[in-house]
Amino acid sequence: MFRLPSTARRAVAGAAVAAAVALAAAACDGGATAQDTAVGNGSSFVAGSYGTTQYQPGSRPQAPKVSGSTLTGSRFALSADRGSVVVMNFWGSWCTPCREEAPVLAQLARNFSGPRVRFIGVDIRDDPASAEAFMRNFRIGYPSLNDPNDAVALDFSGTLPPVGIPTTLVIDRTGRIAARIIGPVSYNGLKALIKQVSAERT
Amino acid sequence: MTGLRTPPDTGPATPPGDDFAEPEAAAQAIARKPGVRLGVAGWLRWGWRQLTSMRTALVLLFLLAAGSIPGSLLPQQGTNPAAVSQYYSSHPVLAKVFGGLSLFNVFGAPWFAAIYLLLFTSLVGCVLPRTLRLVGSARQPPPKAPRHLDKLPFSASYAAAGEPEAALQAAAAVLSGKRFRVRTGPGWVSAEKGYLREVGNLLFHLALLGCLVSIGLGGLFGYKADRLLVTGTSFDNTITALDEFHPGRMVSPGDLQPFTVSLSHFSASYVTSGPLLGQPSAFNAAIRYSDTPGGPTKPFTLSVNHPLVVDGTRVFLIGHGYAPTFRITDGTGHVVFSGADPFIPVETSGLTSEGAIKVPDAQPQQLGFIGVFLPTAVDAGGQLESRFPAPLNPMVSLVSYAGNLNMNSGPSQSVYSLNTSGLHRLPIDPRPLSVGQSMKLPGGLGTLTYTGYQQWVSLAITYDPGQLPALVSGIAVLAGLLLSFFVRRRRVFVRAEATGSGETAVEVGGLTRSDAAGGFEDEFSSLVADVSGQAAKE
Repeated sequence: MFRLPSTARRAVAGAAVAAAVALAAAACDGGATAQDTAVGNGSSFVAGSYGTTQYQPGSRPQAPKVSGSTLTGSRFALSADRGSVVVMNFWGSWCTPCREEAPVLAQLARNFSGPRVRFIGVDIRDDPASAEAFMRNFRIGYPSLNDPNDAVALDFSGTLPPVGIPTTLVIDRTGRIAARIIGPVSYNGLKALIKQVSAERT
Repeated sequence: MTGLRTPPDTGPATPPGDDFAEPEAAAQAIARKPGVRLGVAGWLRWGWRQLTSMRTALVLLFLLAAGSIPGSLLPQQGTNPAAVSQYYSSHPVLAKVFGGLSLFNVFGAPWFAAIYLLLFTSLVGCVLPRTLRLVGSARQPPPKAPRHLDKLPFSASYAAAGEPEAALQAAAAVLSGKRFRVRTGPGWVSAEKGYLREVGNLLFHLALLGCLVSIGLGGLFGYKADRLLVTGTSFDNTITALDEFHPGRMVSPGDLQPFTVSLSHFSASYVTSGPLLGQPSAFNAAIRYSDTPGGPTKPFTLSVNHPLVVDGTRVFLIGHGYAPTFRITDGTGHVVFSGADPFIPVETSGLTSEGAIKVPDAQPQQLGFIGVFLPTAVDAGGQLESRFPAPLNPMVSLVSYAGNLNMNSGPSQSVYSLNTSGLHRLPIDPRPLSVGQSMKLPGGLGTLTYTGYQQWVSLAITYDPGQLPALVSGIAVLAGLLLSFFVRRRRVFVRAEATGSGETAVEVGGLTRSDAAGGFEDEFSSLVADVSGQAAKE
């Protein structure tokens, strides 16, 4: 066992703290996004925050109260869908990866029609005319909240705020978030998630 | 490293042990001696000394600067992911190599972190031991009085009536009264003043550490963001609502202060005559904000350098421009676009602005337009140009395209430019439109109406928890530096001896370190007068 002079010992302790901070910093990746560039296509570079996160039933964050008016002017409240699995998709008609995943979401919503699984979109930073044209084009059968200010995203700031769009949440029958997908969804991936969560006993 | 060293005692009568011990220098001498084997501790000590040397710190500083060069030459993931993915598709092999070296995310790269952590460690390792030595120096009692006071730079002697003890006591009382630190011994009094110099030195070093920590704090926990906001709209401070977002390493998306800002009105005033015609004279953005989601809103006027502060987050007004509004119907008769489209100013004297309108859901074909907005359109020999930045005659001229906007898959695009690779230009004259005018697209592709314009502002949203600590540390650095420059450490010694004839011979000596500011001579003679006067009274 060797002894360092007292100043050196102190300094080594300081360096150890610095290293610990660095490790902690490396573990926490700050995702950066931009409105016009959403999340990128993610195929070729490591975006860090891209991908699917699943939460085990015991450790699921509670979804916040979400309510508002849809693009067609009717009222929506997430709490009214308690008892159904809810797929919530944040999108905008201007966002390239959202357009990429739109056919998948439209198809899955048709496959899972019925009260057991509900789909709801959150249309952010869009003008209603463009949004309606988008829904017509991609034959989206489910409603979307009109959210030009990102108010719904802000509702999630205490739990799992979307860090870019598209972001898709799968909310279980008790109103807890079972999975989050950042970036465009895949048909098989989202289908498996919905099946798994709707097969759970509550 | 810091450029500020406590001057060593250079006075002729400096008592031993008063100088700063330099254990590191001694150890270095041993380490360099050939044939001496270093143990583990020795090597560690050697490594630590190398790391905390000024040369290493300078090399690290240079590396930090050199390492950030690729960050400005190559597109960065954090600021421009679209450009990065563009780079991957145009240079697949090179991009893989660059990606492997984290050159698309320089400021988050492990090697970059290694450089700044080493630099930080080096600086701390340099400043901390020096600080500890300064603490010792500030607490040191005055040294013993030297034997021959007449050899000091300042000296005086006088004869006093009474015992030597009485004369010494009187001297000690005078010096204590002048706030000298006094130490007494057999036949002598030693006093020192000006420890504030050491306090200043200490303050300087600690404040320097404080600066480093504050900057680190800001870098870890702060963030910077931008948002373009059109009049009549609002946004909530959450990541999806921000156009650019540069978080510190420890910022998580839920950390953003949840406020809402809506832009009610923006006004810009311009000089209307003289050589400064068209120069802006004032910008004011009337906003309403609420600091809790769904809470009551309060009015505020943003202007240049007059930010809104919400829970420590500052919202600055940094730019403005025009967003012409359009209504576009497609070939099937549906309204496929209705709203404002922000254009970016390309020059300042007339605020001529350019932008792109994309209508990816128009049928039967996607539509795109490249536009120029002229706030004050004037015919200049057959060509329209904007002569004034205010919207006196706002006109817009558009080049129309149809085809594939490349928006249904592939890399994300900027909203301000049009990727025309999959588009064909429509055979229609880009005739400038006035507010309310329409143009019918050829081939039954639809109609565009220029319905008016809105103004937009661009806002910079910054949160820097290190800002105030950095300011305080900066002021403390300056204060410490001034103290250590202007306060002198000075010593006064008194020796008293009985002459045998019932009188006492008193000798007074004075010494100062670095008498750059001068003035010790006067202080010394007035002290001598006080001490002898006091002795005479008794």
